[in-house]
Amino acid sequence: MACFISIILPAQHKFTLSGTVKARASGETIIGATIKAGNEGTTTNEYGFFSITLPAGKYKITYGALGFLVFEEELNLDASVTRQIFLDGKNVNLENVVINSSTSTRRSISNPQMGVEKLTTSEIKNIPVLFGEKDILKTIQLLPGVKSAGEGNSGFFVRGGSGDQNLILLDEAPVYNASHLLGFFSTFNSDAIKDMALYKGGMPAQYGGRLSSVLDIKMNDGNNQEHQASGGIGLISSKLNVEGPIKKGKASYLLTGRRTYADQFLRLAKDSAIKNNTVYFYDLNTKINYEIDKKNRLYLSGYFGKDVLKLGNIFGINWGNATGTLRWNHVFNDKLFSNTSLIFSNYNYQINIKAGADDFTITSKIEDWNIKNEYQWYANNKNTVRFGINAIHHTITPGNVTAKDTSGSINNSNLQNRYSFENAAYISNYWRASKKINLTYGMRLTAFSILGGGNFFNYNADGDVTDTIKTQLNSIVKTWINAEPRISLSYIINPQVSVKAAYVRNVQNLHLLSNSTSSSPTDKWVASTNVIKLEISDQVSVGYYRDFAEGNYELTVETYYKNMLNQIDYRDGANIYINSDAIESQLLFGKGRAYGIEWLLKKKSGNVTGWISYTLAKTEKKINGINNNKWYNARQDRTHDIAIVASWQVSPTWNLSANWIFYTGDAVTFPAGKYKVEDFTVFYYTERNGYRMPAYHRLDIGATKILKQRKKFTSELNFSIYNAYARENAYAINFRENKTNPEITDAVRFSLFKLVPSISYNFKF
Amino acid sequence: MRLNYFKIFFWLLVVLLTATSCEKVINVQLKDTEKKYVIEGIITNNGRAKVIITQTGNVSDPLVFNGVTNASVTITPTGMATQTLQATSAGIYEANFLVPAERNYTLQVSIGGQQFSASCYMPSQVPVDTVFTTTEQFIGDPQILPNILYLDPVKPGNAYKQALWVNGVKIRQIYISNDEYSNGRQCNDRLYIIPDEDEDNSTIPVIKPGDTLTIEMNCIDPVIYKYWFSLQRSALGSNEQATPANPVSNIQGGALGYFSAHTIETITYKVPR
Repeated sequence: MACFISIILPAQHKFTLSGTVKARASGETIIGATIKAGNEGTTTNEYGFFSITLPAGKYKITYGALGFLVFEEELNLDASVTRQIFLDGKNVNLENVVINSSTSTRRSISNPQMGVEKLTTSEIKNIPVLFGEKDILKTIQLLPGVKSAGEGNSGFFVRGGSGDQNLILLDEAPVYNASHLLGFFSTFNSDAIKDMALYKGGMPAQYGGRLSSVLDIKMNDGNNQEHQASGGIGLISSKLNVEGPIKKGKASYLLTGRRTYADQFLRLAKDSAIKNNTVYFYDLNTKINYEIDKKNRLYLSGYFGKDVLKLGNIFGINWGNATGTLRWNHVFNDKLFSNTSLIFSNYNYQINIKAGADDFTITSKIEDWNIKNEYQWYANNKNTVRFGINAIHHTITPGNVTAKDTSGSINNSNLQNRYSFENAAYISNYWRASKKINLTYGMRLTAFSILGGGNFFNYNADGDVTDTIKTQLNSIVKTWINAEPRISLSYIINPQVSVKAAYVRNVQNLHLLSNSTSSSPTDKWVASTNVIKLEISDQVSVGYYRDFAEGNYELTVETYYKNMLNQIDYRDGANIYINSDAIESQLLFGKGRAYGIEWLLKKKSGNVTGWISYTLAKTEKKINGINNNKWYNARQDRTHDIAIVASWQVSPTWNLSANWIFYTGDAVTFPAGKYKVEDFTVFYYTERNGYRMPAYHRLDIGATKILKQRKKFTSELNFSIYNAYARENAYAINFRENKTNPEITDAVRFSLFKLVPSISYNFKF
Repeated sequence: MRLNYFKIFFWLLVVLLTATSCEKVINVQLKDTEKKYVIEGIITNNGRAKVIITQTGNVSDPLVFNGVTNASVTITPTGMATQTLQATSAGIYEANFLVPAERNYTLQVSIGGQQFSASCYMPSQVPVDTVFTTTEQFIGDPQILPNILYLDPVKPGNAYKQALWVNGVKIRQIYISNDEYSNGRQCNDRLYIIPDEDEDNSTIPVIKPGDTLTIEMNCIDPVIYKYWFSLQRSALGSNEQATPANPVSNIQGGALGYFSAHTIETITYKVPR
């Protein structure tokens, strides 16, 4: 009650300092900049807006942000003020590079938000990666609790969840397939990215719809001060970024493109089998924004990406995402900020086949229309309330087969479109209860409606259809209502040490079906139906946070337990490409559990920066019909996962970096016996995931040399070696007949990349 | 082929990956398990019934034929007399009798008190219209590939299995198709030969002009289609297409294998010079 009393009975006159923090050079708003006034403080929101209410008086206000010089000002607060703060970038003048610790680079000891990892593109800039292609999704895999989906892969698993349980947002638009080229690259061109936050637990109430994580990626807005071009030429791709003011200080545009020439690269491969084929992808990020006045700002951003894979003239597949977000920021007053977004997202693929009488295309897509309306109310110094509503309409086209030649061997066939409507309302409050205790509590109420049009089915235990339910277009077949409470608490032991605890429930309505063990563009999204229930997870986590050596080092230890319901797996011999609307006949359902402990020791300032992360974890599933209905290790179950990341600024122009990764091999299924059928050696299996792949480890090293750094032109050269000590890590272990004696079975280990050097040249003018 | 395009697609992914990969035979310690019976039963409309009964072996041991000798094996066509199969050699049981199509067949196997049974429907025979070859630049060098034309019946639910020999050498590949996407159509099944990754030491025959091709066409029960579909995806020792698992069998009682009642048609074709 204390907080509400303080609203009613102000002890003395209070005034509000509000405004926006921006980068001086580009005019870009800064996310998560800290504003400090004595013992009070706040941070800017995702649009650079802040509001802090203080008793009247004189203050020294400090503004800081990662990668920027700290700005201080004296302020005599005797009325509410609105400020526009411009921060200078740290490398604005090379001679004056400040390498001292800055308060802004610390993660928050006091904020109850836990399980969050934040990275800016400047932090990932020097981390060596495969083919030298900077990649946000590969960098987050070096953080505790985040596991790589495989060698060189941009797919990731968070705290035991599967890949489809990550909500990946680009300027608020969900990205349904975040990878290019069989997963080796992510769809996020790091040149266009401003900021990224990954929530592994304690997800804020404004996010919903996926069980295990939220990856919130924000695109740059575009420089509104001056025109600027930057780009890079690498082994795999070339990139170009153009941005500048449309109206100086008011409106700007951004255009970032990337195109690979991987097809050329693959021609160098020893196998002649891949010649005569086409493999490439491109990305285009666009954005314009317009600051109408101090209280209103509009943003329009878009992403378009496409992969093309062609096998001679016989087989072709292309797939891609398109997203668009129109946003309107409105400041009602110095305490109430709002944002309204209209969001579109589409993922589709098309397969073309021309082989004799088989001449046809298969198309499939998932398309969302999404509207969000959110308010951030800086009620008083102790309470910040966030509330909003969100409505999404999903259309899933599972697969349409169109024959080019009506006299050929293929019938036209269309699987039923599936429609659903996902509505949510949420409210949460960040309550600074006392000097020691902060609390964020809230509730997300979701209603997921399956819309009609087409048939739904009931099944018996064997997965056979028992009856058919006919539905009318746009009628409501079923609505699932769920309350998702979220609470997190921090207790500050002293300014350097705090403990936090959180509980969150998440619900997932869309599920990805994948026949293969690696990700494929043809993996199928399905919405919940009368049979596929909503996935539900409950996660509790507890953490310990400590700063050392005047904030130069920070230690984070978090432990979690997660319970998951209505998890999906496949029947033996399942085929998700059946020409039937009764997809549920291929599925099995069960539950999962995941628990673990994560350590992160980070050094964020000085000539040498980096981190050590270690995760000890367990992930299991229990699905009726698999492994004799007993608990088994999920594929992504890895006991140990270690990453050491270091970057050394040797001199103003030279940077050296390295990372070393170690993890326990994935859980895999190996045969228990073998037998002959016809003349094939067939393997006999008794348990699911009862074996382990060999342990994985590798070292990557990188070096960056700044060639020229002038006001008008900078350029740099970047070298890296992936898997520098050429460890032959197992990508797959297959069992097959020995070439000379087929009676003998060989276990064959496939290793992908070892010792992959790369070089890239980047420029900016 | 139709659905198998997905198989080709997955195979393409594997080729792309393995193009940059290296492979090495390694030692994997596997737990030994108790042996299981394997029953492979076939009955064809030319009047032949053959049931092979073996046992599984350890993965690390050479796979030798260990026929089970003390079994009693019968097949009962619905509405007809039960036929007992005679052991012709260790683990092989055979009989010849009148086997009409469009009928259900039941297999009974008894081994030392353990009972196994399976039933399978033999569909009507769909004749092959034509066999011809086409040259395709599919992967690597142009390949000569056999094609089969046949008219799928109007009634849905037909499934087919083919086998291919080149100059008497069997192509070790599973050719299955069904009418899921092509019901009632003039179907063109092309028998792709997926080349050996190691081209220089390939033991897989390459079809040349003048070669003699032998093609066997079976019309199979959809249950058997599912058996072969799941076998080729998940039981041949790799985990690229699906999580490894036993094929979906129609045998009740806990044995591995299958019992298939299918029609048979064999065509010999000489590749034009």
